[in-house]
Amino acid sequence: MSESNNEQQKKRTPAEWLTFAIACSILFTLIGFVLYNWVTKKQEPPVISVTRNTPIRETQGQFYVPFTVTNTGGETAESVQIIAELRVNGEVLESGDQQIDFLSSGETQEGAFIFSRDPRQGELIVRSSSYKLP
Amino acid sequence: MNQRKKQRKNQWSNELNDIIRGASGGFLFGIPLLYTMEVWWIGSYTTPAEMSIAIATTFIVVFLLTRTEGFRKTKDIRWLEAAIDTVEAIAIGIVCAAIILFLLREITPETPLQEALGKIIFEGLPFALGVALARGFLSGDRYQSSDSEKEPTINATLADIGATLIGATIVAFNIAPTDEIPMLAAGISPPWQLAIIAASLVISYGIVFVAGFTYQAKRQQQQGIFQRPLSETVMAYLVSLAASAFMMFFFRKLSFDDPWSIWLNYTLVLGLPATIGGAAGRLTV
Repeated sequence: MSESNNEQQKKRTPAEWLTFAIACSILFTLIGFVLYNWVTKKQEPPVISVTRNTPIRETQGQFYVPFTVTNTGGETAESVQIIAELRVNGEVLESGDQQIDFLSSGETQEGAFIFSRDPRQGELIVRSSSYKLP
Repeated sequence: MNQRKKQRKNQWSNELNDIIRGASGGFLFGIPLLYTMEVWWIGSYTTPAEMSIAIATTFIVVFLLTRTEGFRKTKDIRWLEAAIDTVEAIAIGIVCAAIILFLLREITPETPLQEALGKIIFEGLPFALGVALARGFLSGDRYQSSDSEKEPTINATLADIGATLIGATIVAFNIAPTDEIPMLAAGISPPWQLAIIAASLVISYGIVFVAGFTYQAKRQQQQGIFQRPLSETVMAYLVSLAASAFMMFFFRKLSFDDPWSIWLNYTLVLGLPATIGGAAGRLTV
């Protein structure tokens, strides 16, 4: 061990320089990403959009309504509340709600609401109702 | 000339050993934080300015640690070398944390850049502290006492199993009752389960058979059923898995009513930190 000690104290070996070069490139890449993110970050509050692209699925008498929620704004939203209401003739027959813990800028989360009545028979509203800033 | 060639080859393997020792220290220190959802969330709402401050602060702390501990064999290093080692320690920490986050499906190709960055930075920096402390963690030589006493090999095997159990329990007991295990298990599909098994074995092997110091030569002398590196690693993994399953059962996270797939999934997810703890246990106990 003392031999390698002396060796290392004399000068750094090529192997050590290679490690250092790779380590530097990793660290600079990371810092570069942070700076890039800093520069391109949108200075705007969260914009939550809820979309329903997937068709409604019927299984064992239940109706599954898949939804996708995306944050197109700049900041992260916490506790994003998604609600779904099924209205028939102006009356709310069924409703459901779902909470998403964190939705950062550009992030997309998916989920589904489950109804016992066919949502196609009435008017289905799926929207986000609230969020808080972390 | 032949000697010089040999020496050069030695340099590279020494360097690799140093890096693996650093990574092993990082895993020991950083793995409990990787199983903490609050740290994943920090990544979701941290601003780039806060990330930069976090990197700068860690650099200073790791630098000071490297002055006294470090992950290389050399002691008493100078300021410049400490700075160079600090950069390396942070890079090792970042890479290890990123790999495990990816393995646990906390970072996927769909994760937005900012969230991924935040997660990697806030999980990677504790890893870097572990890297800087690696020499302190891993300088133990587990055959110091047993070699002098010339114990029969079967006892060495039993001692290894015991040490693995102790280490696995110390690390995984903190993680077993938390909600992170079901959360992580929910997102992990069979191919990723296989990847987790592979990673557990590789990390365990790295900690015990590469990161240790004087152990390399003595390893060859140790003969016995489970004393070969590969079989010992596999045996220790199985012991850690059994310990994980028992801990999950102990904390009522698993019951006999649960299907076997849940038992398998939870056990594999907790098995990763348990194996790392078990490997550390075999080095230190």
